[in-house]
Amino acid sequence: MATVEVPYQETVPLHHPKTWIGKYIFSQDHKIIAVQYGITAMAVGLVALILSEFMRLQIAFPGWEFMNFFTADHYYQAITMHGMIMVIYLLTAFLLGAFGNFCVPLMCGARDMVFPFVNMLSYWVYLLSVIILMISYFVPGGPTGAGWTLYPPQTITAGTPGFDWGIATMLISLAVFIVAFTMGGLNYITTILQARTRGLTLMRMPLTVWGIFIATFLGLIAFPALFVSAVMMLLDNFLGTSFFMPAVVSLGQKLDYSGGQPLLFQHLFWFFGHPEVYIVALPAFGVISDLISVHARKNIFGYRMMVWAIVAIGALSLIVWAHHMYVAGMHPSFGFFFATTTLIIAVPTALKVYNWILTLWRANIRITVPMLFALAFVLTFIVGGITGLFLGNVIIDIPLSDTYFVVAHFHMVMGVSPILAIFGGIYHWYPKLTGRMLNDTIGRIHFYFTFIGTYAIYFPMHYLGFIGVPRRYYETGISEFYPIAAHNLNKFITIAALIVGISQVLFIYNLVHSYFKGKKAPANPWGANSLEWCTPETPPRHGNWEDRLPTVHRWAYDFGVPGEEKDHIPQTVPRRKAN
Amino acid sequence: MTDTTLSTQESIFTSTARDWSSDMSTFKGVPWGKAMMWIFLLSDTFIFTCFLVGYMVMRMTVTEPWPVASEVFALTVWGVSVPLLLIAIMTFILITSSGTMAMAVNMGYQRRKWAVFWLMVATAALGASFVGMQCFEWTKLILERVRPWYNPMGAPQFGSIFFMVTGFHGLHVSVGVAYLLIVATRVVRGKYDHTNFEIVEITGLYWHFVDLVWVFIFAFFYLW
Amino acid sequence: MATEGQQHPIKIYFLIWLLLFVFSFFSYLVDYLDLQGNLRWFLIVVFMLLKAGFIVAIFMHMKWERFALIFGILLPPIALVVLMFLMAIESNYAWNTRVWYMGEDMAPKPKPPEHLHHGESEEETHY
Repeated sequence: MATVEVPYQETVPLHHPKTWIGKYIFSQDHKIIAVQYGITAMAVGLVALILSEFMRLQIAFPGWEFMNFFTADHYYQAITMHGMIMVIYLLTAFLLGAFGNFCVPLMCGARDMVFPFVNMLSYWVYLLSVIILMISYFVPGGPTGAGWTLYPPQTITAGTPGFDWGIATMLISLAVFIVAFTMGGLNYITTILQARTRGLTLMRMPLTVWGIFIATFLGLIAFPALFVSAVMMLLDNFLGTSFFMPAVVSLGQKLDYSGGQPLLFQHLFWFFGHPEVYIVALPAFGVISDLISVHARKNIFGYRMMVWAIVAIGALSLIVWAHHMYVAGMHPSFGFFFATTTLIIAVPTALKVYNWILTLWRANIRITVPMLFALAFVLTFIVGGITGLFLGNVIIDIPLSDTYFVVAHFHMVMGVSPILAIFGGIYHWYPKLTGRMLNDTIGRIHFYFTFIGTYAIYFPMHYLGFIGVPRRYYETGISEFYPIAAHNLNKFITIAALIVGISQVLFIYNLVHSYFKGKKAPANPWGANSLEWCTPETPPRHGNWEDRLPTVHRWAYDFGVPGEEKDHIPQTVPRRKAN
Repeated sequence: MTDTTLSTQESIFTSTARDWSSDMSTFKGVPWGKAMMWIFLLSDTFIFTCFLVGYMVMRMTVTEPWPVASEVFALTVWGVSVPLLLIAIMTFILITSSGTMAMAVNMGYQRRKWAVFWLMVATAALGASFVGMQCFEWTKLILERVRPWYNPMGAPQFGSIFFMVTGFHGLHVSVGVAYLLIVATRVVRGKYDHTNFEIVEITGLYWHFVDLVWVFIFAFFYLW
Repeated sequence: MATEGQQHPIKIYFLIWLLLFVFSFFSYLVDYLDLQGNLRWFLIVVFMLLKAGFIVAIFMHMKWERFALIFGILLPPIALVVLMFLMAIESNYAWNTRVWYMGEDMAPKPKPPEHLHHGESEEETHY
């Protein structure tokens, strides 16, 4: 091993498909796969968005004739599908499937993923899981209406919509998704660990790659718990085993179950579910760190601290899961343990927020569209994070649980924030992916509608939660339980939600229009340093690089280095000899 | 470029820190496929452990009686009831297959293709016979009216968890048999001649993992 | 990717093979001799961990891997230990509540399997 190591990718030829189908449909090129993932995730995300608009209309205008078709069953099915699609099929798939596929090989200076065929398979299996999920709208009884947490026993007892077939398609779809994710995730991890280019140490990687790396790793060790609980619940439903089902009387009849432990499902689910929050959040953190640094023309503050914060959050996220279960009736002393670990996890998270703000401090900030989204992310994440401190404490959580406060919290922290990061990332990388700039004006309009709109939606929800409005209610009716102001607020939220929903059309129009008519993009429009901006062609060709892979000499954050002529120095520029 | 020559005096932490902070590859000298297999096995470990944790929770929470494993799995041979006889044979078969697999890996690195082929086929045959015995065992239980949803001896969860976990393990063994046969054929057909035959080691990793899982199942399901 | 691969004397494989047989035999003996209580518990776990350790270390060549890989693979399962530990506490609590509040039997006796009691009690079959 005394000889100089040659990147293995330089020694193996790349598989070049000849046909159009091989190039664009069954493509093994990571960039095409990223686009496929992105389009599928956005399409299924639109379905979830429309479902949420129906829910909002129902909450704001109960009894409106136009909404007559939308029964209580539909409402619960919409809740479930909206939650599951957004968390798994949109956010996880977009952040890891699309950004992961696009960024990892380019930013690592690799030609492609280590096993492109498996990578391709990952997308098609993901598509299969989406199709199975959508089939649940066509099975008898429709999709499951158990809420995205799918808690037994109610999930599979009569009375819950979709308790027989809907839940089956949901669980099978999840299991298939996990297979797809595993195939993709193994590729990302192995590429990051084993296929970096010359000079690219882990501590020189852009934070986007770090976020994707730790998130994928979390996925690989957290999704198994979901897989196991899905298998066990399928058996409960179809073979009549009693893993999660205690002796239950349902609709006046004693069911054939006995001795199961429903809490086991909740524990397994959240053993997956809490890391899942960070599977979504960590890539967003990484993307935002890069966006802020690039568009503020300043190196990211405390790079090492940022990396270790990501690692620490990843490790801690595996031991905080039961803070979702404070009112579930688990062992009484668990609350203490999980509240403590939950509050500890706030430390590295807060570190990251401070570092973003310190990066902005006295920086040469350029208010570009990606930067707008990045700044919005930081604001939204602070709000979501601080309400997280409320809910992490047992005594505050108990009165607040199952109110709109919780809805506001998790939408702020893992709904809106990652979506803003996704938008920011798309506006940032679209020029590299397509060779065209997105329209700036439309981008800004889209931003303000989205950002101010989401605040208009979720900020009032905190108030609703404080006055005790319960979540997941189809219809509250006139009650003295909460004031008439709450009803008016609900109407306001719904109108805001409709505006935000419709404004997304702008974004899709922008994506499509700019692809054909957009301004030609230069190779490095933002003046960024990381490797994806150093490709010989824009958009990068299959294989990304020339015959020789690039050599990395520095980290990705050399902006405004004193004594240098240019304000940014790409990673491939050699360092001057030390004086 | 840093010199990656290994010094024997290096402490394990120094060497780990050096590997993790080096460029190009973190696991030095580990082929991509092998790194990927290790990480997959880590993920699979989480699957099996979650299953076993489920078993533990079932066993600890049910208030109906749990059957005595050594009686349930006893075989009557020539009129004498021997506890766990079949399980013992299954264990010995799986260990033997692990041994032949280890030999196949060794032969692979010596580039003795036919030796690799026959050893892998032997491993697959042992694995297949393991699955066969598992079928026998399942049949025996089913004939004694144990079902996934019902168990005449006590807690119904006994049947549920037993069929689920051994079934999942059996599925792994079956997949492993297919995987072994495919790789063995491709080895003799010269598909891997340009490599160092690390594919044999990668297959071996999977197979040993299956054996490893059986060690835990054996202890927790049959002996506990 | 130039690698010398994992070449080791065949002797060590035979030795481990033999050891696995021996440990399996001993853990079988634990059952055959009908040891009970903490001793049984302890012996089963010890033999299990020994066997697992030898398989991972020798057959899967973990012993000869660099520590970068060893730590990378062996550290994450700590999360599983936490899960297992907490679930044990939780299950104990659940069992206690069932016994205290629902009046379940604390030490029920299982019925023997059918091949031992030659089925006089014909319950309804649950096919």
